[in-house]
Amino acid sequence: MTHDALSNRHPAVSFLFFMLAIGFGVVIQHPAYLLAGAVCAGSYYLLLNGRSGWRMICGLVPVFVLLSAINPLFNTYGATVLFCLFGRPFTLEALLYGMVISGMLVEMLLWFGCYSAVMTSDKFTSLFGNLIPALSLLLVMVLRMIPGFIRKAGQISGARKCIGKSASEESGVKERIADGMSVLSALMDWALEGSITTSDSMRARGYGSAPRTSFQIYHMTGQDWVLIACMATLATAVILGGEKTAAFSPEIRIAPLSFGFATYCILLLIPSALHIKEAIQWHISRSAI
Amino acid sequence: MAHFEIRNLTFSYPASDTGTALRDISLSIEKGEYVVLFGKSGSGKTTLLRHLKSVLTPYGRRSGTVFFNGIPLEQVSAYDQAAAIGYVMQNPDDQLVTDKVWHELAFGLESLGCDQKTMRARVAEMACYFGIQDWFHRDVASLSGGQKQLLNLASIMAMQPEVLILDEPTSQLDPIAASDFLNTVRKINLELGTTIIITEHRLEDILPNADRAVILDCGAIIADDTPSKIGKHLHDQNSDLFSAMPTPVRVFYGAYGRGECPLTVREGRTWLSHLFPESPQVKGLPAEPAKTPTAVPALSLKELWFRYEKNGADILRGVSAEIPTGSLYTIVGGNGAGKSTLLKTICGICRPYRGKIRICGKPAESIRPSELFHGCIAMLPQDPRSLFVKKTVRAELEEMSADQAQIDHVASLCQLTSLLESHPCDLSGGEQQRAALAKVLLTNPQILLLDEPTKGLDSFFKSAFAEILTSLKARGITIVMVSHDVEFCARYADLVSMFFDGQILTTDTPRRFFGSNSFYTTAANRMSRHIFSMAVTAEDVTALIAANREADLS
Repeated sequence: MTHDALSNRHPAVSFLFFMLAIGFGVVIQHPAYLLAGAVCAGSYYLLLNGRSGWRMICGLVPVFVLLSAINPLFNTYGATVLFCLFGRPFTLEALLYGMVISGMLVEMLLWFGCYSAVMTSDKFTSLFGNLIPALSLLLVMVLRMIPGFIRKAGQISGARKCIGKSASEESGVKERIADGMSVLSALMDWALEGSITTSDSMRARGYGSAPRTSFQIYHMTGQDWVLIACMATLATAVILGGEKTAAFSPEIRIAPLSFGFATYCILLLIPSALHIKEAIQWHISRSAI
Repeated sequence: MAHFEIRNLTFSYPASDTGTALRDISLSIEKGEYVVLFGKSGSGKTTLLRHLKSVLTPYGRRSGTVFFNGIPLEQVSAYDQAAAIGYVMQNPDDQLVTDKVWHELAFGLESLGCDQKTMRARVAEMACYFGIQDWFHRDVASLSGGQKQLLNLASIMAMQPEVLILDEPTSQLDPIAASDFLNTVRKINLELGTTIIITEHRLEDILPNADRAVILDCGAIIADDTPSKIGKHLHDQNSDLFSAMPTPVRVFYGAYGRGECPLTVREGRTWLSHLFPESPQVKGLPAEPAKTPTAVPALSLKELWFRYEKNGADILRGVSAEIPTGSLYTIVGGNGAGKSTLLKTICGICRPYRGKIRICGKPAESIRPSELFHGCIAMLPQDPRSLFVKKTVRAELEEMSADQAQIDHVASLCQLTSLLESHPCDLSGGEQQRAALAKVLLTNPQILLLDEPTKGLDSFFKSAFAEILTSLKARGITIVMVSHDVEFCARYADLVSMFFDGQILTTDTPRRFFGSNSFYTTAANRMSRHIFSMAVTAEDVTALIAANREADLS
């Protein structure tokens, strides 16, 4: 886990940020907004993942190019014909629209990449644990069971291999399915037996004997509140700050940029700015020693 | 007033043909007492413990009453019981409910509806007391078995119980984690005054700590006394439970000792020193004759190197060994040293990147996997349950072989004949181990690999298991076993190897091997090494004492 400023804040702050970034990213189709969103998401992604983040970003470039080019192949609306391909016109409007849609996809992929690095499952459950305690406990238990299941399946098939009872490369489809089924049924037996112990252990620790509360490992600080207020203000400014429409059919009409765009950029740069600020502070405080 | 008072408790499970599970149990446990409950598997220990907490009490016919602080237990509310009576079960993994360590610590408090402030304080307190702060934020899946069980204990202690009930808490742990855990239990008892009621088959570690030992047999209490006197009851009754007593106790009564019975190695040493103020006439037993190497060793390992990941650390760093045909070869060594990996490498699950394995003289690469696991080599995994995929033991065995005569033969060899129609999950730990062994034996292996086969077995199952191994050896089957159980290795092995730092460092016969170690050796050896040499089991020490008595008389 990298040290990141937003990750160290209360999960509510991170969650609000991602909701705003992803929400605006989906709703606003203005090319300038999309470009700003993609750049901010990309830079934050790089800050979070370091050098290995470049691999993902380089991988997204061909996705973007390919998806942008596909739209004009199927849609021929628009007045500006660039050239003809297979007897069909290839228009600038359709190309631009394709770029907007694929740009949005790339931006979302990047934001979700950041989201999964910052909002780990325990943060999510601790955030919503108080609202829906039963559901969040269920989620936590499922999250615990999945890796356990995978581990046990590996253990069973490993054990069967050592007595020559597993499907090898030579065996046919039927044998493989039969082998998979026996592993699965053993896994079920195991899980049922385990769940009896788990439920005993839950009841032994008073589950169901009183209304549940939920232990909060994260606490809102003054800075967290300031950040939330900043984000809320900026988001309102984005919504109110001028038109953000863009149309590509029959002709290109893109609304001029207004101060809403500036606030949008500031909002999206918050996590990167916090990250860089803390990195600089750390550097300064260390060189002061 | 007694903390727990059980009066004339009789219980039988519904629809059971095994008779009563508990017969007329009367027991009183004082506040702050440390009580060990002991008996064979199936003697009713768990049933009795479960009667001490209402939510866990099994269904069935019952008479008699359990009082908690003078109030009948069923009148104490579930809420009060949850907090006041802590219950730790056997399986460290299945007891955990949540996915994070901190959440698990808080689980009981959340259930009791504690407020944030109390919860924070209690969780912090427990994390520090149990030394959990370093792994407070980790996923529970990344913890070792010992850490998991410690976490279970800590999350119960966070509710500040008055009584702690532990049902074989260390049976799934390796010896070092187990004694850590039991030391923590001891610390809780001493520092917090919590009443402890524990069942265990690892008596060496806990009998010296306990205030009282209660022995159950077939659902009835057959002895109830202080630890130093309990051995006498069993010895006088000629009970087979005596074989589970700690080594000093067995030596003491085996040699008809007089005075206070020693419980620990230290007390045993003092007692022996008094017995032999001067150097004894018979100083030691003869070492076993060195094993003559067979013409073609069953297994020959030459300079094996292995690692799991390309850039990972080497797990095997040049392992070499020659394992003679028809011997019981045991490998002992620390936790996570790579002993299990070595077994996997031998049976071809892991491929060494350097070195040679020869099985019965043939290079391992030249044997096809289908031939390798049919009539050549087979491995019994650490957890026998991972071999069970069917609904009955018979179906399990039929999965391996169609030959009914062979199945019957193996079933009788593994003492399974009466259990053939049971579901594998309903068997006790020792029975599961034997059923898994039967399954493995049906592949007709010439070389049998065993991964910690005595883990979680009580001493009776261990001796039954050893009998089976002896009869397999008699048929020329070679057995390679990795184990933490030095007592078992000392008693039954032909050769013992020390595995350390990815290599087999020394190999010798048990007496020479354990006789020359001072720390990594049996309790009998540690107790007697200042008087005798090469005495590694309780029987050895007893025999030497008897031999010296005879020598003195003549």
